Amino acid sequence: MSEFSVIGKSATRPDAYDKVTGGRGYPVNVTMPGMLHGKLLRSPYAHARIRSIDASEAAKLPGVKAILLPQDVPQRKFCPVFFVPTLAKSMVQDMVLMSDTIRFVGQPVAAIAATSVDIAEAALQLIDVEYEELPAVFDPERAMEPGAPQLHASAPKNIAKNPSFSAGDLEAGFKAADRIFEGVYQTQRVHTCYMEPRVCVVDSDTQGNLTVHSSMQHMFGLREKLAFILDMPESKVKVIKPLYIGGGFGGKLDVGYIEPLAALLSLKTGKPVRFEQTRAEDFITTTRNPIKVYMKTGIKKDGTFTARSAKSILDTGAHATHGAEVIVVHGLLGFFGGYRCPNLHWEGFAVYTNNMIGGGYRGYGGPQACFAVESHLDEIADAMGLDPIQLRLKNCHHEGDPHPLLGSFVNLDTYRLDECMNKGAERFGWSARKPAGSDKSVKKRGIGFACQPLWVSGCVGLPDIYEHSGAVVKLNRDGTADLATACIDLGSGQNVTLSQIVAEELGLRGADAVRMTYADTDTVPFDAPTHASRATYSAGLAVKAAATQAKLRLLQVGATMLEANAEDLEVHNGRVSVRGSPQSGVSIEEVVTRAESPFVQVTAQGPQPTTIQEKGTIIGSSSMAPPSNPSPCAAEFVEVEVDTETGQVKVLRVFYAHDIGRVINPNAAEGQVEGGFQQGMGMALMENLLFDPDTGACVSSDFLDYKIPTAVEMPPKIESMFIESIEPTGPFGAKSLSEVCVVVPPAAIANAVYNAIGVRIRDLPITPEKILAGLGKL
Amino acid sequence: MKQFIELNINGEAHEIAVEPGDTLLRALRERAGLTGTKRGCDSGGCGCCTVLVDGKAVYSCMTFALSVRGKSITSVEGLAVGGVLDPIQEAFIKAGAVQCGYCTCGIMMAAKQLLAENSKPSEHEIRHAIAGNLCRCTGYQKIIQAIQLAAAAG
Repeated sequence: MSEFSVIGKSATRPDAYDKVTGGRGYPVNVTMPGMLHGKLLRSPYAHARIRSIDASEAAKLPGVKAILLPQDVPQRKFCPVFFVPTLAKSMVQDMVLMSDTIRFVGQPVAAIAATSVDIAEAALQLIDVEYEELPAVFDPERAMEPGAPQLHASAPKNIAKNPSFSAGDLEAGFKAADRIFEGVYQTQRVHTCYMEPRVCVVDSDTQGNLTVHSSMQHMFGLREKLAFILDMPESKVKVIKPLYIGGGFGGKLDVGYIEPLAALLSLKTGKPVRFEQTRAEDFITTTRNPIKVYMKTGIKKDGTFTARSAKSILDTGAHATHGAEVIVVHGLLGFFGGYRCPNLHWEGFAVYTNNMIGGGYRGYGGPQACFAVESHLDEIADAMGLDPIQLRLKNCHHEGDPHPLLGSFVNLDTYRLDECMNKGAERFGWSARKPAGSDKSVKKRGIGFACQPLWVSGCVGLPDIYEHSGAVVKLNRDGTADLATACIDLGSGQNVTLSQIVAEELGLRGADAVRMTYADTDTVPFDAPTHASRATYSAGLAVKAAATQAKLRLLQVGATMLEANAEDLEVHNGRVSVRGSPQSGVSIEEVVTRAESPFVQVTAQGPQPTTIQEKGTIIGSSSMAPPSNPSPCAAEFVEVEVDTETGQVKVLRVFYAHDIGRVINPNAAEGQVEGGFQQGMGMALMENLLFDPDTGACVSSDFLDYKIPTAVEMPPKIESMFIESIEPTGPFGAKSLSEVCVVVPPAAIANAVYNAIGVRIRDLPITPEKILAGLGKL
Repeated sequence: MKQFIELNINGEAHEIAVEPGDTLLRALRERAGLTGTKRGCDSGGCGCCTVLVDGKAVYSCMTFALSVRGKSITSVEGLAVGGVLDPIQEAFIKAGAVQCGYCTCGIMMAAKQLLAENSKPSEHEIRHAIAGNLCRCTGYQKIIQAIQLAAAAG
């Protein structure tokens, strides 16, 4: 029997009922009386200077209430990324809200608020802009060459950031190698494809206070960025926590153009202003940065690495935004920390181009690194006749090892990658794998494997990155608890998992005795975003701490009622009782009612005195940063079928083994893994945001052109296995999950395709054209 | 030029004012106040806006409001009858098929048509019935399980 009542069970999401009956709580549904509708005029040029803008005709259109041009908005330079402080040294402050200098197709040049969307759109057509077109550059390697167009005066050769890490003696390491392998791997531009568009409603009052509703992943980040961009005190900006977000996946991890422009338009008109992006606008708002990786590995005959080096070139687009951080995380976690090797060198370049900006996307540099590293290792194993799993096992970190990046003060206390590989291989049937290209049929089958040795893109000691969380837990007289936290559920299930943690800690009747309640930036403690792989661990620790504090108070009041010592009491299944004699106790309802009762309480037995010490709502709060954010890890196995006549790749089955610490909610964890595979498979096989090579305009800006996997393309079964290491620092032993499952699939699928047809595809996506070309058929 | 039309939505007559170019999606969300039908792309690509018109699942973003006068429209708000959830809704909750939930209502409407026409669909038939609906959270596995559950319950 489990030691827990609520943890480890697939409790039903509290939001599921509302979501199947219409789901009112999305930001897209927020409307206000008198609300105006905003629209942006966007540049058709990739690189240009605005000579003049004439909006006088637009202003005359009935229903147009306000127009903003570049000269009307603050010119403070900012970095839009939520999870770093506004002036973080690690980030590049290179954006302004609207500018006379255009650096990508789609950059806003004017904003309009009107009484209807139709009027706002009609007014856009009446704005006359005269551009001076400038030469543009779309390839990051070309952008670093002499003579390339320069995007920002502060960045010679268009290099926004150039981090590097070294250990040992690389040259000696390569000299000591029996063999040296090199390879170049390239990932493409993919979109998060959250289903709810980016949308916001901003209202202002006569004192200039703002109230903000937005589909985003970080309330406090939005407050901070808005206040900075608009140069106003943070206390004048209130961001409301959305009940739900229609998906984020990192795509809503920065302030957009729409929130600050809505705020300015609202301040100007005195009305609430709403922006809702079209899907075409969403596609050019943020993306996963494409990265090209040049990789070199020195290895002994027995499979031990002697030297590893890599150079990564990231296309950060018109502004550094996330790209300046993605490159670091990509190099540090995706390459440098992954496998043991005494001699290491990595250098990264985040390069400006006249492409759209990058963004956060689940994995944050990880999928790009994993595709390169795990494809490269597969090539090495194949060339040396080694088993791919044994090659990883020989070089990976093991439980108890010092943390590869924080070794002086953190150990990998829970880290069962070897178990993920070994048990996964057994359950999947890895031993049935045949030599690459040995299937002689027209439709060839292949088995592939990849793992993610180290991944948490949250707190790993990186400077300037928030990892805090906070919560307020308040007990109600009916025995339920209200949980207020700024941790937003993007769909990944925090509403239920955090409720389970509170219910377990407080001994409530069940997870459904906890209500995730209203929160805004005025009323709850600071929280980092729902991003990286952090909410279950970090927010979980914070809600547990708040519940612990409330429990202490619950037991104190209970002690006065039971005439016992608080230390001798426990709370279980909704009752406070002396440890070991559950029949003796009182219900939580009775304790909370007592604490909130008048001084003399009237009961069935007549008036009963209570003491002043008992008085006061039973409440607990927390605001804290966790000691670390321990890494989950995963191994993934796939079988594919490649049609050598059409080039089509079909994924037949998938097996994932994950170490995510203790699983709080198995159903929710499986859901994360299954959805993660879909995103990874899309990146592997089909997704690619395409741009006109001459103009830089996005040409795949809706779901008819940008294809993501449907139920038909998905494999019949995705199996998940959780290896429950019990993380000593985690809430009830849990770690976080989100990213590992999305990082691995492109590499695992590419390796399976190689096993099927003996053709190695080193640039994503693996399209039928590339397969047929690889087979010599094109 | 706005005109008043009567639409039969979830068995009730709604008199609403529409522009000739207004889609059924807009009529439902912005005129009739029925926000369960979601706008995901507005271009017939995601299926978040799926409703039933005379029992057939359609993208309401690709359907003119004027074209469905006299027809029977069912949105997600019409699935539960008298406060009792449709078996499809029950199954989506039970199977854990709901994550962010933004696609959920559209997919349930596609499933509603499927189960009305084929009470014992195969997994293959389920996958094809919802192939016009995108979900980015779940990988569809629990959605398919939910539709199987609903079929078994129905």
